[in-house]
Amino acid sequence: MTEKFHEELALLKKEVEKMGELSKDMLEKSVQALKNQDIELANWVISESPALRELDDKIEEEALRLIALHQPMASDMRLVATILKMITYMTRIGRYGNDIAKIALELADQPHIAKMASIPQMSKIVTSMVDDALKAFETKELSYILDFKDREDTIDAMRYSIFREAISYMMEEPKYITRCTHYIMIARYLERCGDHACKMAEKIHYMITGERIEVR
Amino acid sequence: MLNIFSVNKSDDEKNAMSKNVFSTSGRLSIEKLNISYGSNHAVKNVCMSISPKSVTAFIGPSGCGKSTLLRAINRMNDEIDGCKIEGEIIWKGVNILGKDVDPVALRSKVGMVFQKPNPFPKSIFDNVAYGPRIHGINEKEELERIVEKSLKNSALWGEVENRLAESAMSLSGGQQQRLCIARALAVEPEVILMDEPCSALDPIATAKIEDLIEELKKNYTVIIVTHNMQQAARVSDHTGFMYLGELIEFGDTEQIFENPKEKLTENYITGRFG
Repeated sequence: MTEKFHEELALLKKEVEKMGELSKDMLEKSVQALKNQDIELANWVISESPALRELDDKIEEEALRLIALHQPMASDMRLVATILKMITYMTRIGRYGNDIAKIALELADQPHIAKMASIPQMSKIVTSMVDDALKAFETKELSYILDFKDREDTIDAMRYSIFREAISYMMEEPKYITRCTHYIMIARYLERCGDHACKMAEKIHYMITGERIEVR
Repeated sequence: MLNIFSVNKSDDEKNAMSKNVFSTSGRLSIEKLNISYGSNHAVKNVCMSISPKSVTAFIGPSGCGKSTLLRAINRMNDEIDGCKIEGEIIWKGVNILGKDVDPVALRSKVGMVFQKPNPFPKSIFDNVAYGPRIHGINEKEELERIVEKSLKNSALWGEVENRLAESAMSLSGGQQQRLCIARALAVEPEVILMDEPCSALDPIATAKIEDLIEELKKNYTVIIVTHNMQQAARVSDHTGFMYLGELIEFGDTEQIFENPKEKLTENYITGRFG
């Protein structure tokens, strides 16, 4: 019986990894679509939203089923608890990708201002955090998430710099207001995704070591 | 106040030692305890300190020595031929394994509840009054007071108050087990040992015993052996995991079930054993 439980738990973990890849792809590709004004890619991101939601529901249902039937303990319990938290963070990351893809469609018909400030660079750092959180989850290797605080500090600084930069452009030229407001929103979305990656890292740290930490 | 020392001490000696027994902390300190049955080394060098007025659970696979360890605390192993015990269990300043300790007097302070309910084929009243009578209490009113108090403390009073003269055998399994707990409480112990007290009971009766354990720890030190890990997690404050006679890990129940330090504990409680 416990063997069956551990097989089912391993399968559930695979599903979480799959969901993580999807949410990361949605975020990464939404910024690519924005940058390259790629309508097709933006539409792909939007079309994946239902799949992300389904994975969220399916994984939650399966995790609750395993708790009800097997009452996991110790590392098994920590894995299931981490999964239940991670799917929420991953759903939000994917949804921000969806939101950015929608903005990408809106902004696809006119050239970008100042190469969108540092949004692509910010996106790279956030995506790397999501990717490393997933690697840590998969391999139970803490080293992937040890520098998250530094990366989060960088992201915060970038968001503020994008905000200042966008304000300057708006003051110079009122016709940039719509576009620059979108840039500010996107920077905020990316910053939130970085926060979610940090929350994932906290839970993964708990899963691996049993100790709770705060990344801030 | 009961004296747990045997008669071969003078009254003065007994009084002096008895004062010591009941004046210091109720913590049970098990020190380098080794128990063997012939060539079977059942408990190996166990050291642990059990907090008073709390619930301590011993878990582990069959044959790991947890029941043997439990039985050492009220000298039940004395009854087994060929059983050899080394080490100490210090309670209130006295080694209760010492030769000068009277096991019968000790057992009035350290009660025990067994796996299968074992009421005497007597009335409900007489079952509970049995212990106090042995200890010389014969006044009807005093016995009635003790029986009522014990049955109330074992959460059985409401179900049996109008049928105290009926046979204990007429009770359900769960009620019989609570009767046995009342019988143990009637001699006013300070420690209650429970050896798989719910393994013969259905989930509803089990829940009642578990609620009762939660109540009992306000006034008693409860030590429970259980095969049911969820039960240990639910009812205990501290948990000890035993394997092949050794105490592998002992700590707060939350820590043991959330984040055990030892790989063996982790493997056992997550079912990755063997």
